[in-house]
Amino acid sequence: MKPKFSVSDLNLFYGNFQALHQINIEIPSNQVTALIGPSGCGKSTFLRTLNRMNDLVDTAKITGNIQLDGENIYSDIDVMKLRTRVGMVFQKPNPFPMSIYDNIAYGPRCQGVKDKQRLNQIVEDSLRGAALWDEVKDRLNKSAMGLSGGQQQRLCIARAIAMEPEVILMDEPTSALDPIATKKVEELMEQLKKKYTIVIVTHSMQQAARISDKTAFFLMGELIEFDDTNKVFTNPQDKRTEDYITGRFG
Amino acid sequence: MSRKVKDQLCNMLIWLSAAFSVGILVLVVGFIFSKGWSKISLDFLFNDYESKTQYVTLESDQAYQAPASLSESALFSENLGVALELKEDHYEIVWMDKESPLKEATNNADEKVKISKGDCVQQIKVSGKSLKLDKKTDQEEIVKALNENNTLVMKVMSVGGGIFPMIVSTLLLVLVALLFSAPIGILAAIYLVEYAKPGKLVNVIRFATEILAGIPSVVYGLFGMLMFVNTLNLGMSILAGGLTLTILLLPTMMRTTEEALKVVPMSYREASYGLGANKIQTLSKVVLPSAIPGILVGVILSIGRIIGESAALLFTIGTFAKLPVNPESGNFSLLETGTSLTVRAYIEVKESGNVEMAAAIGIIILIVVFTLNLFSRLIAKKFSKANN
Ligand SMILES: Nc1ncnc2c1ncn2[C@@H]1O[C@H](COP(=O)(O)OP(=O)(O)O)[C@@H](O)[C@H]1O
Ligand SMILES: [Mg+2]
Repeated sequence: MKPKFSVSDLNLFYGNFQALHQINIEIPSNQVTALIGPSGCGKSTFLRTLNRMNDLVDTAKITGNIQLDGENIYSDIDVMKLRTRVGMVFQKPNPFPMSIYDNIAYGPRCQGVKDKQRLNQIVEDSLRGAALWDEVKDRLNKSAMGLSGGQQQRLCIARAIAMEPEVILMDEPTSALDPIATKKVEELMEQLKKKYTIVIVTHSMQQAARISDKTAFFLMGELIEFDDTNKVFTNPQDKRTEDYITGRFG
Repeated sequence: MSRKVKDQLCNMLIWLSAAFSVGILVLVVGFIFSKGWSKISLDFLFNDYESKTQYVTLESDQAYQAPASLSESALFSENLGVALELKEDHYEIVWMDKESPLKEATNNADEKVKISKGDCVQQIKVSGKSLKLDKKTDQEEIVKALNENNTLVMKVMSVGGGIFPMIVSTLLLVLVALLFSAPIGILAAIYLVEYAKPGKLVNVIRFATEILAGIPSVVYGLFGMLMFVNTLNLGMSILAGGLTLTILLLPTMMRTTEEALKVVPMSYREASYGLGANKIQTLSKVVLPSAIPGILVGVILSIGRIIGESAALLFTIGTFAKLPVNPESGNFSLLETGTSLTVRAYIEVKESGNVEMAAAIGIIILIVVFTLNLFSRLIAKKFSKANN
């Protein structure tokens, strides 16, 4: 199967500090790929290269090649267009201080969708897609800041879905949530992977084992191992991976 | 010295200092209020500064009823619906019917003249005769003259002593100064926070604004005089004053806007960019709306600054207590000279030793600035709540 992303010889520098070393990886379509590794190993940094969020960091410099469906994301695709194709959900739920409706409609509106009916449809579909519709359908015009943490995170997922992306990047999306809200978001990911390619950073190995098809293990800016999840967890090829997943460090 | 004594001494010193500063504050406010309070009235706020005497023509077309509560000594004219009363040696208008012809009075040049309670009637001309009004004039004759004919001419002196021209000029100054300084300051702050790459240039700009904020306002006043009044040939005018204030306000405006932009969480920007929004969309739809309360606080504090500013205006708008109205066309003009409340307070004391007037102006400024501060606190409080 053709990979969604193929990354070759990727290096990333924050000023003089090299955060990523020679990353080569092919991320498959319509699967969940988990990125694991100890804190500070470069998981978020790598994730954010995939939709060029690192462009926002003035000191960040990149070498190497990242292709999305064969197109170079740093030269062939407009960065704004790229981000509509590759959506992102952040560690801390970050709804805009606007109504629930306006949060979802934000992305489509930025792309020039004005038609009220179409927006209504997008809002409803996205909220349904994020399993949030029944909880908020009566208060679409209330501020999103009034939602619980778990609801806010699902709202952020709905907001990403509203762009009809091909890929959704998630950076520790449940680390700020309680176990019940975490379970809901995980169930949601189960649904989402039928339609979208998902790349998720997680510091919970149980979560990676539960939800992902592929797992990549990062250590100090290097990609140590990348394989099917059950292979990585049952039969790791690298000693360092084994040490990490058996809890010997990290 | 034992430790206890030392502690007590320290405590006493702290208490004394606190009491002293509060005492001084009470003293200053108390002084201003005791000196000026008696002058404060609606007339003080809305009367012209200079008194003005004019001949006005009146046309009566109906008879009016005297009000129930009219003092014994007042003279009532049913022809004009007006009551006059002798005060010292002049006749003052003490009551007017809502539809009195005095409301429709016109002067020689056929312009409408606003006559109000408190104005003095000095002379009446009716049916070819003329009657001077003072304490020697027979009161019955006055009433007779007032009611004699449907058309009559009156010499009316509107009392001055008010600060209306200064209030108008100050408001115009606020308008002009904000019109220029708010957009420029806000856009400059947006540049610094959202566009400029951190580095030398930004540091230089920040340093320069800090220096600018520290320059005493009299220096701005001098600059304004040389630049706007003389070189740009605006003359002493509201515009020259407003532009001088613009420069004076820019650093504060930039700083408060910068602070307001910086506290907008980075996560909002990330969320917006993550959804494919461009920079302008992110700024206008997410960042600025979240920063508006903070920016508003800056604007309100600037208004307070304008109202309290005097040194920068002394050489740039002038000191004449007149409305910034063109004498020929009668229209308001930003190129006309006028004076602000604070400058006038200074001039009153300096030129005529009128401390009472200055104190009364001080009270008005105090109240306005206090209200503005209260307002900005309210907004700031709401803002910090909304962001948490
Ligand atoms: N904006 C930045 N500027 C400089 N260094 C950064 C920046 N972001 C992350 N880093 C550094 O890069 C390394 C990887 O960070 P990150 O990708 O956030 O790790 P992880 O998500 O795996 O915890 C860390 O050493 C971190 O200190
Ligand atoms: Mg991280």
